[in-house]
Amino acid sequence: MRDVYIIGTGIHPWMGFSEKVFADFAAVAVDGALKDANVEWKKIQAIMAGIFIYGGNAGHLSGQYLESIFGETGIPVVNVYNACATGSASLRMAYNSVAAGETDTALAFGSDVSPKGFLTAKSDNAVQDRDVIRWKMGGLPNPIYWALECRKRMEKYGTTEEDLALVKVLMSEYGAKNPHARFKKTYTLEEVLNSAYVCDPLRLYEICPVSTGAAAVIITADKDLISKADKPVKINATTMGSSMYGDPTIRISALSCPSVPEAPMLSESYSASRQAYEKSGFGPEDIDVLELPDNSSWHYLVYLETCGFCKDGEADKMLRDGQTKIGAKLAVNPSGGFSSHGEALSAQALWQVIECANQLRGRCGDRQVENPKVAMAQTYGLMGNSGTTIMSL
Amino acid sequence: MENMANKVARIPNLVDWSTGEVRLMSAKCNSCGTYFFPKEHYQHRPGCSREGVEDILLPCKGKLASYTIQYYPCPAPFKTDKKITPYGIGLVEFEDEKIQVTGIITETDLKSLKIGMQMETTTLEMFTNEEKQQVVTWAFRAVK
Repeated sequence: MRDVYIIGTGIHPWMGFSEKVFADFAAVAVDGALKDANVEWKKIQAIMAGIFIYGGNAGHLSGQYLESIFGETGIPVVNVYNACATGSASLRMAYNSVAAGETDTALAFGSDVSPKGFLTAKSDNAVQDRDVIRWKMGGLPNPIYWALECRKRMEKYGTTEEDLALVKVLMSEYGAKNPHARFKKTYTLEEVLNSAYVCDPLRLYEICPVSTGAAAVIITADKDLISKADKPVKINATTMGSSMYGDPTIRISALSCPSVPEAPMLSESYSASRQAYEKSGFGPEDIDVLELPDNSSWHYLVYLETCGFCKDGEADKMLRDGQTKIGAKLAVNPSGGFSSHGEALSAQALWQVIECANQLRGRCGDRQVENPKVAMAQTYGLMGNSGTTIMSL
Repeated sequence: MENMANKVARIPNLVDWSTGEVRLMSAKCNSCGTYFFPKEHYQHRPGCSREGVEDILLPCKGKLASYTIQYYPCPAPFKTDKKITPYGIGLVEFEDEKIQVTGIITETDLKSLKIGMQMETTTLEMFTNEEKQQVVTWAFRAVK
């Protein structure tokens, strides 16, 4: 396998609902990536596209729609869906194509327009799709799943409501410094603790909404392009994981879970991160910047443990002691996280990778981590989807 | 015993009251020992032959493994005639079956919820359909 580098990245800043279509946002992100990489469109030899699930036929063939905007060249275009880890899947396919020598330069992108209102069931066959059951009979919007796990954590490890609020305080401080973020207001502990419960113990400011956004990454093994790029970022590993039998986590859309654990919690992310550590040769102790999926304050805490940055039950102390701040040994979510962005389903994993790349390239302005060498983007999607990307200069 | 004659589950094959007790409809794999809910949600142990899956009713009582209180209405297609927010959602553990199942908490003071408390399966009326039947979902309530 060849060494593969990120040479160009582009983002359409995260925002709320828009009347514009996903391809408009995708084009902005891809244009940005091409300019950053300083490569012509004709150099792109494969497109790995995250699909836009609410976009009908066009959304499910997002790669073809994107290609036609920039000019069709006959290259392989593959469209992929892995829930909120879709971006990880597109990047991994692009990486594997380039690393294996099938192509020299490839594009991964995802673009999502927030649906109006809440996410809900997308079919009506309860036998085929148990998501129908959870919406029709279960009364189970996504944050309830997080709240059920959060309550277990509070009982088991003594996580407090202040800990959950502190995550938002920290994320809002960083999000305010990120031009790509949707939410730029900073919050005090009191303001977060005074916000309404959505599903007790999680409050309005402790869960992330759905957003609109797009992200694109151009990777290459072409030595000429690498030499011309501004601080190319090496991909040391980009992996995906699925769940393991006996994982006790109650997964979004499921109606049951095992009561006797035979695998780690969030085993899809345990698996993806351990694969990445093995392939890259780096471990948690080597990571300077970590972007983790803080869909809620609970996720922020549990992901530090799932990915091995501390032992089970120790994440709260890491947070309270400031060990996850910019300036500490490990900077967690200097972007402001999902808390400051919201989820743009097929784009968010790529956006996390871009934040890591921008940190390594020293482009992050007021939220810049000092001289980072290794960064890790960790995402996760419902029903057992996860991706990890480890990068270095 | 409540009159169940005019009740219908919104989606079939999830909750049963034919025995006089309200019980969740699960399936057990006799090869790997795993219980499933819903019963078509197969989650076999890797390497299992997947032979001998049989329908089974879960016990009517379990213990509360976790809970939350939802303050906002669940969006459509969830539907109830009466306002139910704020409502509790419980994760109830059936110990012998090694499974935890989610369900709306009903007929219970939400302030009294505590992990470990005994819960029993019941039904919750969601709405009345065109045939004048009471459409229900499964639910849990504290054992008195």
